[in-house]
Amino acid sequence: MYNFDVVTPNTIAEAAAAMAGDEAQALGGGQTLIPTLKQRLASPNTLVSLSGVSEMQGITKSGDTLRIGGATTHHAVASDGSYPGLSGLAGQIGDPAVRNRGTIGGSLANNDPAACYPAAALASGATIITNTREIAADDYFQGMFETALEEGEIITAVSFPIPQAANYQKFVQPASRFALVGVFVAKYASGVRVAVTGASNDGVFRWTEAEEALSRDFSAAALEGLSVSEDDMISDLHGTARYRAHLIKVVTARAVTAAS
Amino acid sequence: MSVAKPLPHDAAALHVTGAARYVDDIPTPKGTLHIAFALSDVAHGRLNGLDLTAARAAQGVHGVWSGDDISPMPDCSPSVHDEPLLCTGEVQFLGMPLCMIVADSHLNARRAAALVRADITPAQAILSIEDAMAAKSWFDGGPRVYARGDPDPALKAAPHRLTGAIEMGAQEHFYLEGQAALALPQEGGDMVVHSSTQHPTEVQHKVAHALGVPMHAVRVEVRRMGGGFGGKESQANALAIACAIAAARTGRPCKMRYDRDDDFMVTGKRHDARVAYEVGFDDDGRLLGVRFTHFVRCGWAQDLSLPVADRAMLHADNAYFLPAVEITSYRLRTHTQSATAFRGFGGPQGMLGIERVIEHVAHHLARDPLAVRRVNFYDEAGGASPPGPPRDISEPKRNTTHYGQEVSDFCLGGLVADLEDRAGYGARREAVDAWNAREPILKRGLGLTPVKFGISFTLTHLNQAGALVHVYQDGSVHLNHGGTEMGQGLFQKVAQVAAHRFGVGLEAIKITATDTGKVPNTSATAASSGSDLNGMAVQVACDKIKAAIVDWLGDPQARFVDGMVIAKGEARPFAEVVNAAYQARVPLSATGFYKTPDIAWDRDKGQGRPFYYFAYGAALTEVVVDTLTGENRILRTDIVHDVGASLNPALDVGQIEGGFVQGAGWLTMEELVWDDAGRLRTHAPSTYKIPAASDRPAEFNVHLWDGANREDTVYRSKAVGEPPFMLGMSALMALSDAVAACGDRFPALDAPATPERLLAAIEAVRA
Repeated sequence: MYNFDVVTPNTIAEAAAAMAGDEAQALGGGQTLIPTLKQRLASPNTLVSLSGVSEMQGITKSGDTLRIGGATTHHAVASDGSYPGLSGLAGQIGDPAVRNRGTIGGSLANNDPAACYPAAALASGATIITNTREIAADDYFQGMFETALEEGEIITAVSFPIPQAANYQKFVQPASRFALVGVFVAKYASGVRVAVTGASNDGVFRWTEAEEALSRDFSAAALEGLSVSEDDMISDLHGTARYRAHLIKVVTARAVTAAS
Repeated sequence: MSVAKPLPHDAAALHVTGAARYVDDIPTPKGTLHIAFALSDVAHGRLNGLDLTAARAAQGVHGVWSGDDISPMPDCSPSVHDEPLLCTGEVQFLGMPLCMIVADSHLNARRAAALVRADITPAQAILSIEDAMAAKSWFDGGPRVYARGDPDPALKAAPHRLTGAIEMGAQEHFYLEGQAALALPQEGGDMVVHSSTQHPTEVQHKVAHALGVPMHAVRVEVRRMGGGFGGKESQANALAIACAIAAARTGRPCKMRYDRDDDFMVTGKRHDARVAYEVGFDDDGRLLGVRFTHFVRCGWAQDLSLPVADRAMLHADNAYFLPAVEITSYRLRTHTQSATAFRGFGGPQGMLGIERVIEHVAHHLARDPLAVRRVNFYDEAGGASPPGPPRDISEPKRNTTHYGQEVSDFCLGGLVADLEDRAGYGARREAVDAWNAREPILKRGLGLTPVKFGISFTLTHLNQAGALVHVYQDGSVHLNHGGTEMGQGLFQKVAQVAAHRFGVGLEAIKITATDTGKVPNTSATAASSGSDLNGMAVQVACDKIKAAIVDWLGDPQARFVDGMVIAKGEARPFAEVVNAAYQARVPLSATGFYKTPDIAWDRDKGQGRPFYYFAYGAALTEVVVDTLTGENRILRTDIVHDVGASLNPALDVGQIEGGFVQGAGWLTMEELVWDDAGRLRTHAPSTYKIPAASDRPAEFNVHLWDGANREDTVYRSKAVGEPPFMLGMSALMALSDAVAACGDRFPALDAPATPERLLAAIEAVRA
């Protein structure tokens, strides 16, 4: 490792101030960032650790909304259960070490194309709350590793409307157990939302044809006849674009069945 | 009685507590230096030069040596001296060591290696089978052909004829302990090397050659490896040589271990291959003529590829009599890692070819593949009659292989019948068929495949072994032999032999590290031969000491049992007798030597008796496949395997279970992927999937076939290291069976049968 500074703010205001420094980088649980630093794929001068910011910790439910602090670990979300589909997803992320360190804010800020949380945020129509504003999930995800976050902006919380039913299904690449295709299905009174992670060159995306079909008839059978184009799908050593496109439909059907 | 007992591995407690010492655990002397290689980033090209400025200036670096700094460049090859330790001009694969860094720590050496800049003019790389065939890029001077008769007339006259091909992938050894070596310079230019190698004598030979000293000046010691699987038969040479020359130059101990990624990028793997076939057969599925073409990708250096490809040809029959057969084998030279020994040593590739042929024939005739297998089996050896109707005795015998060896111990007729009975094959075949008729999504499949595997090194002179046994005056025994321990339990089996000869308990036997200073001129612990060869050599050594004691006792009928020596009607403790013998000046130390009898092989003609005997086994595997995704599970595997009279049933069952799982891994999930530039893209556990404990069959029954070896092996046991690997073929055939339930066409499934490949096969049979 190389030399860098670590600052440990106690409030969001302190964190935001620290982020204004030269080449500062926010540090959540470090499950992606620390290996990135080790590989020198990034080398910020200052890491701003968010784990001591008490305002960013914890999960609160009010009515049909679940608010999760940006520094809340996957393990805490997995254990909560207020939004069972979301807790189920969090319990499938990585391994126990990752779940005990990794945070929802860190995952969403990084927006890895194979990460699980972006699927939940997008399918739930969540609101990404930062130190300066609120961003709708539909506006937040802007491609692989790309988000609407500005330089120095910190995810302080994420607000999820709790659906009537939801489920996340992950088809894993067997060696790494990252999602080859992951699908989150959420059913609201206003309609069904379907978000797909792991599969597309553009990162997480909504499968709108499936949403329309499932909004009319929330059953796996409603997906028959639909297909996903392989055009923008990832093709790599673990699976072709064609295979990923095929899997999206199968995995979506599994999620619908599990949620029903 | 210590032979035949199901005793645990002698180091089991040390393994699970972490106390077992591997090369990397040996405390190093103060001042030890550490080595790392900088690797080529290009598959093929001309190395114009290296910029070593930054590497030489890096923290902790004592020296950086390239091809310009070492002359003559040491050779690492186990065969034809075509493997320079470091690139000397022509870059031959992506991952080829370009220079070596000597630093004060492992990490500093690796960091400096990352600073090396290479100036390479790239050239066209030969990567695929097609590339190599087009360029006639091959070893052995061209294709090798072994044949019996001329298959053409048989193919032309046959009532049915099929052609096809099967691709099978490479396989990374993935020994848990990576390659490692530690060289300790001694007075007068001598060198002691601790190496994680299956072949200490070869490391001794190659290190001596590199240092320009006689072999007597180099001593190599191997206490144990954390897995070998053939991957440490020749691949350990480079590290040991690098450490030795650095130790000789600096006068300081030198150590090297590959990081896992480097281990993937540098070392050889199992040969991937394509087997193309043309087969003619009758209405019963009896094979009349077969023509095979083997395309074997060998990588950049010859290494052990010739004997590997030979063994594939010698196992092209597996368990079946092929009346007219021709096998053409291309050993293709490509700009990739040099493929090397891996459990089965070509046998799996050859066998999978004929097993595919059997499945194809059975599908064409709409018969149960097991019935087709049975009609093609070699004649059952005398003393047992095969199941089924008696054969007309006027028919010619079907008990000679295509290379002219009589199969005199064939037992698969009975063994497979036993497996069918134990596993309930008939009822389960019906149940699976009924399930598949009923269930639209999840399809089940059954695969029953036999194994007949030839035991002996095909290079006849390697079939020898030595041992050194000391009995101390307190009755304790020091045991040493040429075999190496890699987790397989060889040391325990051999210790059981020694304990049995002296009639003492295992606690009286001290197992010691393999050491070229104690037993010289050993062969690699390979070809499943460890117990056969070294067990016999130890037996000979023990019996020499016993003979000296018996002679001194003056009673030719003296017996050594239960810790006692019974002579002249008197029973005395072994230790007491030994102490008295010592005082009577009886020699209590002996060497033992053994060479396998009755083998002869003419490689050029492809004729002879290369194998002392055959080991047999069969497996029945049931799988379920999700036809929407190709995901699959092994539900149950039943195995009956022939280890002769087992020296240690617990260790043998362990080898059979592990062999099956590794074989099934090769054919179902382990996938090595090279990109178009020749870069291996799967070089870590995050990208390369080996079977885990949870991937083994949910129900897993292993039964040892009850029968002694017909040949006079150590306590009539049989070799067990490699043969069970090929039982994994049953998993591939079970998957193929499940795919076949989806449509009318023959699945023609390639390996590894990953979920995506299975899904494509399902779509193809439905088309």
